[in-house]
Amino acid sequence: MMEMLLSLIVFLPMLFAMVMGLLRVSHAVLRIGAMLSALAVLALVFYATLHFDPHASGMQFVRHLPWIKNYGISYYLGLDAISLVILLMIAVLMPLLHLYMWHYEKRGYWYNMLLLQTGVTGAVLSLDLILFYLFWETMLLPIFIMIGRYGHGMNQFHAMKILLMTVLGSMAMLFSILYLGYEYYDLHGSWSFAYDRLATLHFDPKTSIWLAAGFLLAFAIKIPLIGFHTWMAPAYSSAPTPALVILSAVMAKLGAYGLWRFGYGVFGPTLSYYEPIIAVLAIIGLLYFAIHAIMENNLRRMFAYSSGSHLSLIALGIVLTNIYAWSGSLYFIATHALASGGIFLMIGLLYQRTGSVHISNLGGIASVAPRFAFLFAFFALCIAGLPGTGGFVGELLIIVGAFQQNLGIGLATATTMLAAMTFVFWMLQRTLFGPARTHTEHFADLNNKEMLMLAPIALLLVVTGIAPSLFAPLFEPQLQEMLHRLALSVGGAS
Amino acid sequence: MEQTLLVLPMALTVVGAFVLLMLSTVKTIGLRRYLAVAVAFLAVSFVIELPQFGNGPARYAFPDIFGKMYLIDDFSTLFDLMFLAGAILTLLINSVYLEKRKYYNGEFFALFLFSIFGMMTLAHANDLVTAFIGLELASLSIYALVGYHKNNPLSGEAMFKYLVLGSLAGAMFILGAAIIYGVTGTTVITEIGTFVQQQGSHYTLALTVAGMLLFVTILFKIGAVPFHAWVLDVYHGSPFPVTMFMASTFKIALFAVALRIYLAYFALSGLHGSEILTVLTILTLLGGSWLALSQSILKRMLAGSSIVHGGYMLIALSSIGLGSQLAAPAIMFYLLSYFISSVGAFGILSYIAADAKRPLTYDDFKGFAQKRPYLAAMMAIFMLSLSGFPSTIGFLGKFYIFTSAIESRQFLLAGLGIFIAFVSVYYYFKLIAVMYFYETESKREPFRFGMSTLLITMMALMAIWGGIGTGLIPFFPGADGLIDIAKQAIGSL
Repeated sequence: MMEMLLSLIVFLPMLFAMVMGLLRVSHAVLRIGAMLSALAVLALVFYATLHFDPHASGMQFVRHLPWIKNYGISYYLGLDAISLVILLMIAVLMPLLHLYMWHYEKRGYWYNMLLLQTGVTGAVLSLDLILFYLFWETMLLPIFIMIGRYGHGMNQFHAMKILLMTVLGSMAMLFSILYLGYEYYDLHGSWSFAYDRLATLHFDPKTSIWLAAGFLLAFAIKIPLIGFHTWMAPAYSSAPTPALVILSAVMAKLGAYGLWRFGYGVFGPTLSYYEPIIAVLAIIGLLYFAIHAIMENNLRRMFAYSSGSHLSLIALGIVLTNIYAWSGSLYFIATHALASGGIFLMIGLLYQRTGSVHISNLGGIASVAPRFAFLFAFFALCIAGLPGTGGFVGELLIIVGAFQQNLGIGLATATTMLAAMTFVFWMLQRTLFGPARTHTEHFADLNNKEMLMLAPIALLLVVTGIAPSLFAPLFEPQLQEMLHRLALSVGGAS
Repeated sequence: MEQTLLVLPMALTVVGAFVLLMLSTVKTIGLRRYLAVAVAFLAVSFVIELPQFGNGPARYAFPDIFGKMYLIDDFSTLFDLMFLAGAILTLLINSVYLEKRKYYNGEFFALFLFSIFGMMTLAHANDLVTAFIGLELASLSIYALVGYHKNNPLSGEAMFKYLVLGSLAGAMFILGAAIIYGVTGTTVITEIGTFVQQQGSHYTLALTVAGMLLFVTILFKIGAVPFHAWVLDVYHGSPFPVTMFMASTFKIALFAVALRIYLAYFALSGLHGSEILTVLTILTLLGGSWLALSQSILKRMLAGSSIVHGGYMLIALSSIGLGSQLAAPAIMFYLLSYFISSVGAFGILSYIAADAKRPLTYDDFKGFAQKRPYLAAMMAIFMLSLSGFPSTIGFLGKFYIFTSAIESRQFLLAGLGIFIAFVSVYYYFKLIAVMYFYETESKREPFRFGMSTLLITMMALMAIWGGIGTGLIPFFPGADGLIDIAKQAIGSL
């Protein structure tokens, strides 16, 4: 059971999708099957969490099988604290998304969603670079289809755009992966693409910097850092809600995850060359996206930009390489995913009810739909970093880490909280309060199914907000150890 | 007796061709019979040939008659198997198309078998003259096949274009062979190899020029830039089965002879093969991509992209000269992966085109996923495989090619290849996009089981299995087993 655990988590949704597709089951069976698979994965992830030892060094539940022996490509899955946090977040979000999609008639949604889950969990768990690349690309396909088929606006153009930009990054990464694999072969006489083996390679700094660039390009586009972000706002505004939640809550985070696992994991000290560059881009992004969000009238685009701003914050936290910033980033990855997932789901509901996501059409929702207004405000404030919610803890830790680095970075980072507060309050005031408009006069409040979908997210955000000490012991020992190792290797290299 | 068994597959192919030729005068025989006869001969050849793989060292066929002209080794056996399988699949997949078009008769199949015989000769040739005969035999049959639809002006134009240019290119081969004979005093490839290795440095200029002349012919036939001007029109003008045959099987044959000559001629010597080839590879990748990007008719897009795939293989070919151990098996594997994906893609096109009166464009596939979900899914698999998306055989094919380029330190080529793969995502995914992004008014059609659709399904499964397969299932090679077979074949050279 233990050795099959991760494989089950990864492939269960895809297997479900394949069986359902071949049997051509009715729509009702399909959605129940999808929900069951998501719940089963959630149970398995909980099981893994319970058996996870935070003090063990290295990977746990490892599954390492030869795959293409000639080239040392292996089926290599494993779990550590970083991947566990992201895995938990995916597993929690998935059933809720299925609940959101419950009345969706199109079968394509469900197949794509199941395939997507396999793609993202596979990418988080794989430790072989070729396997990682496989999942990294696999998760792109369903998003491409979902935006192009079910999106709105200029969705087909935007689907192509997101595809091409992401693939450009992946191809650069592929080149670096192949080079690493070959260097290993040159040195040892056998091939390997396992990330921990490749980490033992030593290059001259110049080569190493180029190779790291390949990976960083892929991650920067996925995150997206400023300069690599042009796909973001159009894709966010034309994607259907479930795809949108995945895009902002999960896929963007995998860029940050990659920075950890394959950026620091493989290149270690070399990355210090890029740290200032990424930090500068991230700080510019933080402010730029926040200002954009303030000016935005379209709710989807507004939160797309706020997402961009916060993802820059996460990236900043990772390159600051101190324990506050690192645990803050990891914490924020999970809580931001929950909060932005929550807000985008609610924007989806809003769109279903009013047919509009433009702030100028909205107003006075609080007076007709108090439950909706309360939750909407809660998620929005959580994104802005309201103390007592999960978002706050993550942001605060990153800001503390930034101040520890130096005063300037600290101040710049802290301003984003201010900017976020500005746009959130202003937005809330215009959408929820004031007199009701034509679009919002007959606004129906949340029904029980929708409450069932949103309440767990809200609850989790409160728990993570008031009791971070419940979760921190899960990942802090390991982050400490990684930082320690990184410090040693930097010391050794200089 | 043993000698006879070795050449029996080749002999059977010729006999089959003659039988078909004689049968074609009988008016009462239907198309199905011709098809059955042709496939039967090819299948028997295949079955006889199959156990010969891995059957001991290289030897000459009838050395007392042919001298060293016919070489029989694992390399040629593997290629023979690929040709035979390619021909069988091409005929069977296109059976629906052939039946709907009334102008096919026994001659068509006879020509088909003759060209397969030519290709087999090409793979076995250990002599430049034999290689030339094989090449022309295959080409002449294909010229006729290209113009087979007599009433279609497009088809006639394609045939003449191909015939005139192809014959000119063929002449280059003979010129090259003549110069080589002048310098070395022999036309046997292995002996030329020995000569080049030992005394090549005295005759660098003449040998390089002669070698390049040989390669002009080969590069012309695979449509490498700048010898590509005919590709789009000829592929477009030919009947579907012929296009498929040219894009997949004939291309394999050309790489068979290219590999053999290159390995014996350039790879071991100080001749400037790699530098020139590198330049041509870059041109081919860029030019082919440009052509493929600008097409709206799918057949032409696939024709353009087949130039690009030739370019990928040229990357590996020029890496051989720079000491890459993996490059030659990488080409073999790539040929296989390209074969599977392109035959699948052309197969679906031909299956649909059987009912269509005009060339299929991207727009014709709008809403295809709704109309024919299974065929659309398979088409998507082939497109993914052609674009080198992971978990398909196309990805592994590219993986081997690019690692071999990196191994020989050709970073420019590897980088460019990866960039070109990125560009190709656009024109392959455009088809996926139109299939899946649009709703359709027409009703959903049921999946019809038949020879064509069954084989296309098989190809789709192979495209997936080749990408993720492992050796877990005995007697069924996964990705690992295939590359082992390729290595063994190259090792026999």
